[in-house]
Amino acid sequence: MTEAERPVIDAAKLPSITFGYHGTTWWATAAFMVIEGTTLIVLLVSYVYLRRNFVEWPPPPTALPDLLVPTINLALLLFTIVPMALARRAAHSLDLHGVRVFLVSAVLLAAVTVVLRGFEFAALNVRWDSDAYGSSLWMLLGLHTTLLVIDLLESGAIAALMFSKGREPKHFVDVEEAAVYQWFLSISYVPVYVLIFLGPRLL
Amino acid sequence: MRSRLHCAGWAIAAAALGGCEGIQSALDPAGPHAALIARETGYLFAMAGTVFTIVMLALAYALFHRRAGRQPVADGTLARWVGGALAVTVVILLVNLVVDLRTQRALAGIGSDEALSIEVTGHQWWWEVEYVHEQPSRRLRTANEIHIPAGRPVLIELRSADVIHSFWVPKLHGKHDMIPGYTRTIRLQADAPGVFRGECAEFCGHQHANMALYVIAHPVEEFDRWYAQQLLPAPPPADAHAEAGQRVFLSKPCIVCHTIRGTPAGGRAAPDLTHLASRRTLAAGTLPNTREHLAGWVLDPHSAKPGVRMPQNRLSRNELDALLTYLEGLR
Amino acid sequence: MSTDEVLASERRQLDETWSGRPGFIGWLTSVDHKSIGRRYIVTALVFFALAGIDALVMRLQLATPESELLGPDLYNQFFTVHGTTMMFLFAVPIVEALGIYFVPLMIGARNVAYPRLNALGYWVYLIGGVFLWTSFAIGVGPDTGWFSYVPLSGPEFTPGKRADVWAQTVTFTEIAALIAAVEIIVTTFKLRAPGMTLNRLPLFVWSMLVTAFMVLFAMSTVATASIMLALDRLVGMHFFNPAEGGDPLLWQHLFWFFGHPEVYIIFLPATGMISTVLPAFTRRPVFGYTILVFALLTTGFMSFALWVHHMLTTGIPHHGSSFFTAASILIAIPSGIQVFCWIASIWSGRPVFRTPLLFVAGFLFMFVMGGLTGVMVAAIPFDQQVHDTFFVVAHFHYVLVGGSVFPIFAAIYYWFPKLTGRMLSETLGRWHFGLFFAGLNLTFFPMHALGLAGMPRRVYTYRDELGWGDLNLLATIGAIVLALGVVVFAVNVVTSLRRGESAPDDPWGADSLEWATSSPPPAYNFHPVPAVGSRSPMWSAPPDLPQVTGLAFDKMEQLVTSTLDAVPDNRQEMPGPTIWPFVAALAIGVTFITSIFTPWGAVLGAALLLPPLLKWGWPKPKHEVHA
Ligand code: HEA
Ligand code: HEA
Ligand code: HEC
Ligand code: CUA
Ligand SMILES: [Cu+2]
Repeated sequence: MTEAERPVIDAAKLPSITFGYHGTTWWATAAFMVIEGTTLIVLLVSYVYLRRNFVEWPPPPTALPDLLVPTINLALLLFTIVPMALARRAAHSLDLHGVRVFLVSAVLLAAVTVVLRGFEFAALNVRWDSDAYGSSLWMLLGLHTTLLVIDLLESGAIAALMFSKGREPKHFVDVEEAAVYQWFLSISYVPVYVLIFLGPRLL
Repeated sequence: MRSRLHCAGWAIAAAALGGCEGIQSALDPAGPHAALIARETGYLFAMAGTVFTIVMLALAYALFHRRAGRQPVADGTLARWVGGALAVTVVILLVNLVVDLRTQRALAGIGSDEALSIEVTGHQWWWEVEYVHEQPSRRLRTANEIHIPAGRPVLIELRSADVIHSFWVPKLHGKHDMIPGYTRTIRLQADAPGVFRGECAEFCGHQHANMALYVIAHPVEEFDRWYAQQLLPAPPPADAHAEAGQRVFLSKPCIVCHTIRGTPAGGRAAPDLTHLASRRTLAAGTLPNTREHLAGWVLDPHSAKPGVRMPQNRLSRNELDALLTYLEGLR
Repeated sequence: MSTDEVLASERRQLDETWSGRPGFIGWLTSVDHKSIGRRYIVTALVFFALAGIDALVMRLQLATPESELLGPDLYNQFFTVHGTTMMFLFAVPIVEALGIYFVPLMIGARNVAYPRLNALGYWVYLIGGVFLWTSFAIGVGPDTGWFSYVPLSGPEFTPGKRADVWAQTVTFTEIAALIAAVEIIVTTFKLRAPGMTLNRLPLFVWSMLVTAFMVLFAMSTVATASIMLALDRLVGMHFFNPAEGGDPLLWQHLFWFFGHPEVYIIFLPATGMISTVLPAFTRRPVFGYTILVFALLTTGFMSFALWVHHMLTTGIPHHGSSFFTAASILIAIPSGIQVFCWIASIWSGRPVFRTPLLFVAGFLFMFVMGGLTGVMVAAIPFDQQVHDTFFVVAHFHYVLVGGSVFPIFAAIYYWFPKLTGRMLSETLGRWHFGLFFAGLNLTFFPMHALGLAGMPRRVYTYRDELGWGDLNLLATIGAIVLALGVVVFAVNVVTSLRRGESAPDDPWGADSLEWATSSPPPAYNFHPVPAVGSRSPMWSAPPDLPQVTGLAFDKMEQLVTSTLDAVPDNRQEMPGPTIWPFVAALAIGVTFITSIFTPWGAVLGAALLLPPLLKWGWPKPKHEVHA
């Protein structure tokens, strides 16, 4: 076969925006979720490990953590999944208006969860430096909060991008990534919530 | 005899000197635990030596054999050899596992009719030793030396007062960590009277290198005599000079940390000095227990053991001389 | 125009598009995987030399009983910094560095998947390393050992900043390692040349891929643990404080859950290098591709089930630890498979005795020895005697130096022409090998005997009457021979760079794609982008291989292919040079270092970090994009 007869792959015909696992962005998000998930699991396991050193959990005279604010925040975090899903759908169909509406509402919701998070720390009813029980609770909640704040900033920046002139079609991919990451955060809060707020009642 | 054999085996395998004799060698066991482990060691060396030799011969052949016309070996032949080697590997590994489990079982089965039980607590950087007895008056506290009756198992409880240390007397047994917050129990037994050196094996800070201890096994009657003698309070100063020395001791900060039974000194942060003069070494194997070394130690412990948790002391010549005489009388 | 002229002009155009800025600014802003990879390699080798000189000083201290060269304070810093540097700043970074440089070349890509992140990773690593060594130089080097057991490293027993320096160094380097792992995974999954299905992936890339996955889990664990330690120390948390319900053993579990995979993170890429070097010097593909990949995968999985074998003397219940003994013994099976396959390849091939092959042979000798002592120490009773003694020091230097440094040297001799366009001297290479091999055995073999004779590790001094002096002196002499070997290597590199024989594209007649481009490769790596039809693309290409066309010349475009079968899927525009990764790394550095002194450091850092990250992500105004 001569050079001229060799089949040709014409890259120019290939798309330059792709969603999901076709593109590279999705994989980075997935990898970072693995990293953060591992970190959370390490903390959850440490919590259970340290539990064995105590007769009672929480150790008296520490009071049980309050439930009201944390439960509201859990619900809110889970609810944020909805506008994010809608924003993602809009991004898939390159619908700028839809993305703007849903992304902004999701970001606003996320901002509320961050504010409520401040009250969740107060609801722990223990200081981080009082004993290993306090340290475990603060560390778990602290890590999740850090991720929450980072995510808020990132989603906020992407939302701002949606209103800016420099916006390009490829930034719709970022919207999808923001949505997937938000889901991860919302869902990963479930085990954290269970261990921090229900754990002392059950374990 | 058996240990001699192992030793010879090892020496050939390793073509190395040293390591076999000496008061801290794992290859020269003096008790049933260490002997069992030395046996496993022998097996492991034989296993490793054989496998290593065979694999290296194969490698040398592969590298240097003369190929007739350099015909490549067929992949099928290669696969058969690799598969065969793999099968042999699996068999050897299973044997390893069996040997290991059997050694563990045998270790766990060694004598449980303990003659006595001793609590050993690791401190930065010395060993507190306390003999347990139902009668509080017959409990005995000492430091850096463990005396035991030969031929009888003793139960040892390991604790730590600060960081992690590891209790290791190679001629008697493997090592066991002393972890703050945990208590571990092990058994030791010396087959015959003798002196066995041990050293802290877990890095524990500045003076990890100078944290040794001695286990001394006596014939049973001798041990009983030793015990009875150690239970006595410190002998009263023999003469006026020693008595002056006692006054020095009692008037200096020594009493904050050290105990001398029979005197008001009751500190618990440092080795019990009641029978100091009966010990072989000073400061956990750091110095031989002689008058000069004792003098140097009391004036400036940091020159022999930098970072040690005992302060320097300012003493006049006379004070020091008297103090030494007193301490040397603590038999 | 003839086809050649067309190609030449297209290449000129690509070169213009892909080349970074010139000069120092260009160096700071580069996001090319080759320039990042090169400086990564050089930095890691510098840390190897530093930690090696550190080891020489330790050896001098130990050469004679009751030596007065170093006091305990210095000695403890020396071995901690030696271990920490070798593990965190040399062994792991250098394999990542080689991965960052060669994975894209071996799979026919033009850069890594996230070039800016890649640059950030390097800068963070560099700052971490400089931080550790500066602290060491000014007398606050960490002194609690490379695994910094609590409570010794906790706030009570190590007041001052030394343990914080250790914890933050670890956090820095783990961030860099995680970034490199993400790069390798996504680059390998998405940027392969068309036709390079997973079962045609070069073994080195496979090994880097498995390693990268291990890094994700292992490094996240240790980074979390080191942050917990830092919080215990800085804000009074109690994770490891037994007085308040914390637990020293928790630290050991977390550390070794990382620490054991860590040693295979160091070792697996080295096996990949062996499998890469062998074909060129045995003139045949490595025997047993599939089973070697299987060995990599099982080693990767199993390495997460072995950590307790580092804790066999802590008194964990025996039936539990027997499981770990069994696992430690079983891991010898995949290692055995690899060793047997390599020997089989040599046997059936035609060995070409050049320096890389010498290092491969030396590797087999050293690694089999170290592996066998590994199987020995996996036996619980035996380990109770030799744990924390020089026997274990001997074991791990045989596997680390023999099992990892040897393959790295083999790879450097092999890839040097590609990296620099020059050949290394063969004569000096042989001297290097000879001195290094002899020195190593002289240094580390006697340590087996020392351990059995009762010498614990990490002791700054020992008594004369224990009789350990002779063997220690021998080990020190060995270390000097070893160091001479390293000096010969350094001389070889420096002289060859200046006036070495210049290298053709494919000096060894090797089989993988990096040899398809020029030495050193152009900024865009390949044009045309290669397509692959076999496992040894340089040796056998089916005649009907497709040709890739249509990638832009005036933009930095990269072909993205599907994960399993490498079918062309889409195009991605790659980012050009930018300063922001460097600035962001500086901000991260300030954060970690100030947070040693005050928890507000974290807040300050966040404030500093925000602007560079925003600038980095924010699209540039149009006219700048193609500047
Ligand atoms: C590259 C690094 C590397 C590698 C590859 C290994 C490989 C192995 N290691 Fe090692 N290890 C370390 C680095 C490494 N290790 C380090 C750094 C430490 C100390 C950390 C510290 O405390 O500071 C350590 C410590 C260490 C310990 C703890 C010792 C202690 O602290 O008391 C143990 C215990 O089980 C162990 C076991 C093993 C085993 C079973 C293997 C196996 O994977 C080996 C398998 C290979 C072979 C067996 C050879 C090839 C096989 C054949 C030729 C087939 C035929 C073989 C048989 C029939 C047996 N290692
Ligand atoms: C990859 C890892 C690695 C490597 C390569 C090495 C390499 C070496 N190691 Fe290390 N070592 C460890 C990892 C490693 N080590 C670890 C993890 C520990 C445990 C630490 C702890 O306990 O916490 C340890 C501990 C350790 C100890 C035990 C300390 C103790 O417990 O008290 C000793 C003692 O001999 C030692 C020696 C050496 C020597 C002689 C080398 C030699 O191979 C070094 C060879 C290199 C050189 C000699 C450099 C020569 C360079 C030059 C001369 C400069 C030339 C340059 C130019 C001209 C530009 N090491
Ligand atoms: C602040 C506490 C402290 C004070 C005060 C103190 N010591 Fe000590 N001493 C120690 C400690 C701790 C050790 C164990 C050191 C080691 O081996 O690491 C020790 C060890 C010794 C030993 C060796 C004991 C042995 O079993 O080997 C002697 C002897 C000794 N001290 C004598 C004295 C004398 C005499 C004084 C007063 C002039 C004194 N000490 C004051 C803490 C103290
Ligand atoms: Cu105590 Cu080391
Ligand atoms: Cu291990």
